[in-house]
Amino acid sequence: MKVSKNELIASLKKAFEGLGFRSGDYQDAADMVVWLETHGFDGFERLQAALIYLNATKPIHAELVQEDTHNAVLDGRGTSILLCGSEAVDLVRSQVMLGSCAAIELFDCYNRSFIMQRLVKAAQRNYAFIAYWRQLDYCVKVSIEAGAALPEYQTFTITEVLEPQSLRVFCGTSLEAIEKQYALQLQFGTLLETYTGEEMIACYQDSLEGGIEIDEALWRTLDDLVTRVLVPSTDSSRAGAGGS
Amino acid sequence: MQQDPHLIEQLAASNIRLLPLRPASQVMQLERLGSFHQSRLSFMRTLVRRMVAENWQVSTPIFDLDDQGYGTVVYQVEAKYGTFSFVLFSHYLDPEQRNDRVIANQWDLTMALCEGTVGPEQLDFLRTNVPKQEAGRVDSRVLVLSRANRSARTFDYVVDELAQGRQPNVDVIAEVGYLYRTTAAYGSGKLGMADWEKVRTKHRDFARPFAAEMFTCYMLRHFSMQQADYLAAQRSPETAVNLHLDIKRYLGIGNSTGLGMAPFLINHPLLINQWIEMRETALATAVVASETGVDRETMARLDMATQRVIQHLGEIITADERQSNSNVVVREELQALHLWLQEQAAELAITHYVWADLIQYAEQHWHIETQEVINSMLIELYPDLVDGLEEQMGAEESQQITPEMSVSELLAIIEDKYDWALAIDFSKHESVGAFWYRSEEKMEPRLGQTNIDMGMEKEMPLGIGRLVRECYDCIQDYSKISPSQNVAHFIIKNPTFSGIVARMQTMAQSRYGDIRENLVHSDVLPIYLLRCKLSFFGVSKFDPRSRLWVRNTMFQGAPLISDFGQAIVDDWQFPIKPVLTTQ
Repeated sequence: MKVSKNELIASLKKAFEGLGFRSGDYQDAADMVVWLETHGFDGFERLQAALIYLNATKPIHAELVQEDTHNAVLDGRGTSILLCGSEAVDLVRSQVMLGSCAAIELFDCYNRSFIMQRLVKAAQRNYAFIAYWRQLDYCVKVSIEAGAALPEYQTFTITEVLEPQSLRVFCGTSLEAIEKQYALQLQFGTLLETYTGEEMIACYQDSLEGGIEIDEALWRTLDDLVTRVLVPSTDSSRAGAGGS
Repeated sequence: MQQDPHLIEQLAASNIRLLPLRPASQVMQLERLGSFHQSRLSFMRTLVRRMVAENWQVSTPIFDLDDQGYGTVVYQVEAKYGTFSFVLFSHYLDPEQRNDRVIANQWDLTMALCEGTVGPEQLDFLRTNVPKQEAGRVDSRVLVLSRANRSARTFDYVVDELAQGRQPNVDVIAEVGYLYRTTAAYGSGKLGMADWEKVRTKHRDFARPFAAEMFTCYMLRHFSMQQADYLAAQRSPETAVNLHLDIKRYLGIGNSTGLGMAPFLINHPLLINQWIEMRETALATAVVASETGVDRETMARLDMATQRVIQHLGEIITADERQSNSNVVVREELQALHLWLQEQAAELAITHYVWADLIQYAEQHWHIETQEVINSMLIELYPDLVDGLEEQMGAEESQQITPEMSVSELLAIIEDKYDWALAIDFSKHESVGAFWYRSEEKMEPRLGQTNIDMGMEKEMPLGIGRLVRECYDCIQDYSKISPSQNVAHFIIKNPTFSGIVARMQTMAQSRYGDIRENLVHSDVLPIYLLRCKLSFFGVSKFDPRSRLWVRNTMFQGAPLISDFGQAIVDDWQFPIKPVLTTQ
């Protein structure tokens, strides 16, 4: 079946609310899923994987465990980027000072691809980002220039020992500035694949024009989660809607 | 009405920030927002201006009704930039099943506005799904889905009169104002429809907020009159006459609006801010335009408008005591304005009277609704100066945290922009005496009583004032321990406040910000929220049925499709009973 973007966001917001997410968190999480799905990154598949965890636990956020002027480490405590991605990106952004870039490492976190939407949104405020993480047996690198609407997504062979569930995010006023300051940490292996902004925008336009294809079972799962935020109707509650 | 081109240039060149805009502390009070009336920037007004000026063409490729008026109708619309189809299904409805509530599941009419033309296959698809409304699914070729119920008081009466060769009594029409009532017009991607982003970027004809939804209601109005003519002719072909054009223009579409609309205003604060800022800009533009004095001709136009509103309000029938009393007071005060204009206009023109003085006088002496009626009338006087603002009614609605802001700066912002929220004593029972929730019945938003009704644990976060207070207290505690930290660090320690922090930081940058009301107070009047939004839609004749829902009319007095392309004076606001002319 096909759904619209607005409809999907509305449903996801309520579904995440049903999972215990608070205002702000459920909006961000819905935006992350929809962005990935509409830009060709299998957002629904990743959501289904996330739901297994999210359905089994109360919402957990990351903890700040180490920090100096421009660098910080966050403990994801096994949570999903859907819950801690915004905090991580906000933190690294807040550490960018005049002429200097900043970096964070977030370890023990899952569903890291969702971070892309947060980077895209934050880039609108004229910050550039590079993020990378290990995915199976390759490394994913996402970079977006300050003010750009879309990132570049690349995969590389792995050359350094990366914690399997860690994510590194670098932020600065331009990609050039980040690459200059963190040259040593931004060494990648052989380029495997590049997914360009043009491909992303084509995917997005298709979903906008014709709607977003979603598996009916997933849609029903979301509906079931939405029911958690609904209140049974009674004669008294009908009066609370104004009567007729 | 032509304005001085030099004045237009002068005002266009002036920065909006230099205009004497009213402050947020005055405008964003809920009672004032709930006293707004339609203006030239209201969506129905701007849509009608566009359709008339661009001479949209409407044909009827399918008009397949039986002798009871049931069947299928498809209108094809050639707008300036595209072709659209308005598809309507007319069904038999047991009068016992006729219900205006969102929870209804059968209606007299169901409708869809679609992009392009509609072929047989798509029509079958629509016939299967559109009558089901929320229980059906449509696709991204559909822009709007809507439904309507007949007026039990007017529809059969009008058809009977026409069938017998008579025009209906205008007084009977005036009591109701319409033949059909719409109970919902869904757009913006609901139920599989096209996203607003698609409509905005692909269909320029409807690229303004709610333009497609308003057009759907306009086409419903057109059908309602065509169906009445058709049924009269079917019933009595020998004697039937068509409805008089002046009555047709006077007929609108009824509307029932309930709590479902209220959360929209809270959940779209940037959009609401934009609507209000444009309306206030229009008002300030009118004030500035009068700075060198108001001429007699403009005074006379204001006087004519005043007399029209007096008559309009006198023709409204409402059982609601508050609204009825308000209408009486507003009429009396407008009568005083009328007499003053009659007596003083010549003198005022000589002494360079300015509208700022009238606004000030009204604020000091008259009812809040009188003030806002006058403001709407003043905006009406300067179409060339204000109509361009209609292109600026949209807004990018993203709310973002500014993580680098220090917590002390955030505290200062809250104290400055949300002083109204901090002034509320939430320790009082009545300050938290209500809560908003979604019902299992079609997810309808409802208002519950704290500690009495079920569902508090599933409360919707619409009590912005209370959230601000809770967040402010938390930041204060945090800043005592970590005074030099920024918002990013505060959020990491207190992630549950990320939503309200993003809202406050974002809205602090807007001119008008949030609606200044405690929406979880036991005595909250949601009807003010509904009226505010409906005023931007452009409805008239508010008839509150309780503090939770209101009836009103849409497009009453508006030009007909047959008027498109004609030189029509855009003055159909505040509709009044027609005096029938010979056709």
